[in-house]
Amino acid sequence: MTGGRGDPGLLDRMVQRSLGWLEEARPLFRLPSNVTTDADPNLTLKPLGELAELTQLIGVLHPREEIRTAARGLFAFAWNETRDGELFAELIRGEPFATYPVELYGVFTQAGLRHAEVDELVHTTTRLRGWRVAREDHTRTLGVLNAERRIGLRQHADFGAVLALTGLGGLPEPWALDRKSAYGVTHDVFHLTDWGRNRQRLPPELADYLRLWVPSWLENWLEEQLWDLAGELLAVTACLPAAPYDPVAWQRLADAQAADGSVPEMGAAPATGDPAEAFTACYHSTLVTAFAATLARIASDEAEAGPPAGDTASVGGRTPCESETAL
Amino acid sequence: MAEQTQGAVPLSAVIADAATGVALALRGEGDPYALSGILRQSDALTSAAVRVLGADALAPYAVEHRAAPVGADDEAVVRQALAAYPPGADASQVSVWSYRGLIEASHAFLPAGAQPWPAPPEAEAAWVAGDPWPKLSHRVSQVAALALPGLAPGLAEQLAARTDDLARGFVRAVRRRDWLQAAGLGRWLARLPDAPSTLGLDSGLAFIRQMGGADPRVALHVVAAQRFYGRGW
Amino acid sequence: MVTDRTAPVETAALAAEVEGLLEPAEADGVFRDTRECGGALLLAALLLISPPTPRPKTDVR
Repeated sequence: MTGGRGDPGLLDRMVQRSLGWLEEARPLFRLPSNVTTDADPNLTLKPLGELAELTQLIGVLHPREEIRTAARGLFAFAWNETRDGELFAELIRGEPFATYPVELYGVFTQAGLRHAEVDELVHTTTRLRGWRVAREDHTRTLGVLNAERRIGLRQHADFGAVLALTGLGGLPEPWALDRKSAYGVTHDVFHLTDWGRNRQRLPPELADYLRLWVPSWLENWLEEQLWDLAGELLAVTACLPAAPYDPVAWQRLADAQAADGSVPEMGAAPATGDPAEAFTACYHSTLVTAFAATLARIASDEAEAGPPAGDTASVGGRTPCESETAL
Repeated sequence: MAEQTQGAVPLSAVIADAATGVALALRGEGDPYALSGILRQSDALTSAAVRVLGADALAPYAVEHRAAPVGADDEAVVRQALAAYPPGADASQVSVWSYRGLIEASHAFLPAGAQPWPAPPEAEAAWVAGDPWPKLSHRVSQVAALALPGLAPGLAEQLAARTDDLARGFVRAVRRRDWLQAAGLGRWLARLPDAPSTLGLDSGLAFIRQMGGADPRVALHVVAAQRFYGRGW
Repeated sequence: MVTDRTAPVETAALAAEVEGLLEPAEADGVFRDTRECGGALLLAALLLISPPTPRPKTDVR
């Protein structure tokens, strides 16, 4: 199967407009002073972590210089918000057994940004037997394993064995997928491929499964207007070898992008005068849109260039420990 | 839906009753099947119901080793339906294919009477190759009655080339809880040789029966997939 | 309601109804999702790059 040539003009506009909105939303990504104590991490650390994860990728991988520059600016902003990593030392001292500070720290270490004290702390906390106890959510465990790899820590479990337990690894009946398991499948792919950086990690069996069934899921969730999940499924599609390009699906997502560049999480843009509320309703889908359009742009360029030789599915910006293929 | 004459049983109810009878026969339950037994020639809606059910009106006769022979009354019921509702010039592709299916089934499953059965009309099939998969799937589910042994071999061959797309339509239909569409697609996928193994067609058909089997037409498709192609449980 | 199967019907209307039943428009999708029940909500786990906590869906068809 040959890859689909995409519409670089449309894809790049979507990335640019998303980044434009994210740039304007910088103040809402700022961490409050109580971030390590009683602020809700889902409304503070999570948005900033997503911003860092995805702008790092766009800043390295997007073929267009001005887009990379804009993304890097946002990534630098995110690192600055962590006070050059000092934040993670505080978080780990406060919650030494939590995985999320390690997951977030890994986003920055893959870009070479480190904090000496955090390095020492995680070296200790992740060697505990307690750290190896299985987590409730296997997909989440994949995220932890990916963070360990990024930081250069020993992986606490076998990636392939954990993957086999996930909603992707188990190859469930594609019609038996509910919303939560759909998010699980997309994140299984993101952790496995390091967010599309190492697409060759996707085993053929899983790639075949996704190639068959993602179009159905995409159609369902576009109809339901769950834009963030539709964007994630488009990103997954772009991770497939010789990735297909669905122009209709992309246009539907493009149509959901508002004039200011934001993409609502669900349905039409929220009618609210409260900037914080609008931010919460849009930041995730907007980031996902920029991410998916970047991966699709890369896949489209590859289709344009024809079948590549050699190690085909890997793109630039490889992470450390590359030789440790996950499967 | 067109207005019903006051006091009459709605056509959809007549069809549902008949579908129940067909499904029962396919399961090998109840009295020996006779089309003219479940849809009497003298009833006002019989022809319309036979026309809508299409080949499925004769599906029990496709079962091998039937106990009872087909009676002449059935032939009259089918001929009456064919005469009453021929597809018009502006009929949909589904309508033409369904009509064709009824004629093909008559050729295949009913004894040749005094006069020959009409030749099946030409039915266009460009849509099979050209429709995007959601549209294709919806249409194919509407000609599910043609998923009977020996019927529409050319269509089956063309659909085989789009097996993956029909499987995607099955997934979409189940997720939308469109049980009739899902059952019709599952029935066709049961007939096609290479339904993807990861689809889980057998458990999918069982799931549809549990979730949507209260609709007799859904139940009929699921039973047909099992009876003729051994799929589902 | 009288359930008379021999009641006469208007032929043209019936022909239209037959066509409609042969090729009905696709029904609107029904999207009902699995509800969370029990401890998962109380833990309020931070899921990196997972969607914000879903808002109640109002448009349940």
